[in-house]
Amino acid sequence: MATELDCRGKRCPLPIIELSKKIKESELGQEVLLISDDPATAADLSAWARMTGNQVKVVSEDNFLITKNT
Amino acid sequence: MITAGKYEGQHPLHPKARQILLDAFDQGWADPAQISAQGRQAQGLLLQARESIATSLGLQVGEIEFWGEPELISPVAIWGAPGFGSAPFIYGATERSEIIGMRAKSKQSFEISVDPDGAIDLELLTQTLQPNSIVAIQSANIETGVIQDVKAIAKAVVAQNAHLHIDATASGARFVKPSFWSTLHFDARAWNGPSGVGVFALKNGARWSNPLPHTKPTRAPNSFSIPLALAAAGALEHWIADEATNSARLKSLIERIRNHVKQTISDVDIAGNAQSTLPNIISLSFLNVSSEQLVAALEVEGFSVASGSACVASALEPSHVLKAMGLLTHGNMRINLNHDVQDGEITKLLALLPGIISKLRED
Repeated sequence: MATELDCRGKRCPLPIIELSKKIKESELGQEVLLISDDPATAADLSAWARMTGNQVKVVSEDNFLITKNT
Repeated sequence: MITAGKYEGQHPLHPKARQILLDAFDQGWADPAQISAQGRQAQGLLLQARESIATSLGLQVGEIEFWGEPELISPVAIWGAPGFGSAPFIYGATERSEIIGMRAKSKQSFEISVDPDGAIDLELLTQTLQPNSIVAIQSANIETGVIQDVKAIAKAVVAQNAHLHIDATASGARFVKPSFWSTLHFDARAWNGPSGVGVFALKNGARWSNPLPHTKPTRAPNSFSIPLALAAAGALEHWIADEATNSARLKSLIERIRNHVKQTISDVDIAGNAQSTLPNIISLSFLNVSSEQLVAALEVEGFSVASGSACVASALEPSHVLKAMGLLTHGNMRINLNHDVQDGEITKLLALLPGIISKLRED
C-alpha cells in the first residue's frame, strides 16, 4: 500500500524536496503516491529518478507513484 | 563580473562603443533619407557601419539590414519565408519562445526534439523535412550555451531545397555560418554592443518578402537608431580583435567551474558537454535546492546569476529548454561570463558554492 504525499498547492522545488525526505525515511521497495499540481513536477520527477535511481510511474496528470529502489 | 544569462544584454557596453555612441549622437542623428548635409552625413556613417558589420560577420553589405527591435527579427524572418502559414514549419525544441510561438500562425508545425546534450535530432529533422519546409534553428542556446551542428542541419535542409532561418543571437560573432542558409538573426548585445540593435541577414538569392504592412517595396522596417548602429559596429570590431584570447580564457574558466562542481557537489545536472557549448556559458541544476534561495545567497556574496527555474523566472512554467533536455528544472543557475571577469572571482565562487548548496539542502 502506497503512502500518500499530498503536495497540492506547493510550488517547485517543494514537492521534490518533500518526496526526497519521504523516500529517505522509507524502506526499500516501499511506494509513495505523490500528488502535485505544480507544472515543474512531472519534468523534475524524471530527472530525479535518473539521478537517484528510484522508479517513477505517472498515474495521472497530478499523481505519481514512486518506488524506492536505492 | 559574472552577469546574468537571462539576457545577453546584461553585459556592459564596450567602452569604445560607448564613445562612438556619444560622438554619433552629435553627428549622425539626422534621417539618412533626407537630402540635406546632415542627412548625407548620416547616410555616410550608416554605410560605414553596415560595411563594417557585414565584413565582421562574413556577410555581403547588401545582405544585411539593421533592425531597431531585435526580438522581432526571428518571428518576422520566419513569417516572411515563402509559404509560411501553409508550408510545414519546423523548429527545435530548445528555440527561443518567440520562435516556438510562431507555430500558432502555421497550419502545420513540427517540433524537433533534442538529445540529453541538447543537440537536435538530425534523423527526425531529415525525416520531417519536405521541399517547401521552413526550418528555424538556433546556432547556440542562450540558457545552456549548447551549440547546434548547423553545418549538418544546413546539409539536410539544402537536400530538400527548403528554407533555413538561423537564430545566431547567442553565438553572435562566434557563429560560423554554413554554406547554405536563407535568413540570419544577430543581436548586437552578443558582442557587447548596445541593446536595441539587431542585424537581419537575407542571403543573396534567397526568397523572402517583408510580411509587415508597407506600400513601397521595402525589405525591412528601417526603424533603428543610427548612433546605436554605429556603436554596434564599433563594438563588434573591438570584440573580434580580442576574441581569440578572450574565448580561450573564458573557456578554461568555464571548464574549471564544470570540473570543480562535478568533483565537489553531488546530484547536479550540467547542461550540454564541454565540446559543444559556448565558451562563456554554463547552466547548473542542483537537486533539492530552491533557485530563489540560491540566487539570493550568491547575490549576498556579490555574484549576479540568472536562473531558468519557474520560482525565479516569475512564470509558472519551468524552462522549456531544460525540460526538453530532460534536465532538472529546479535549483538552476546560469553563469554567463563577460570578457572582464577576473580569475579570482571564479576562485571565490567555487570556494563558496559547495557550502552554499550544502546549507540550502539542509534547510
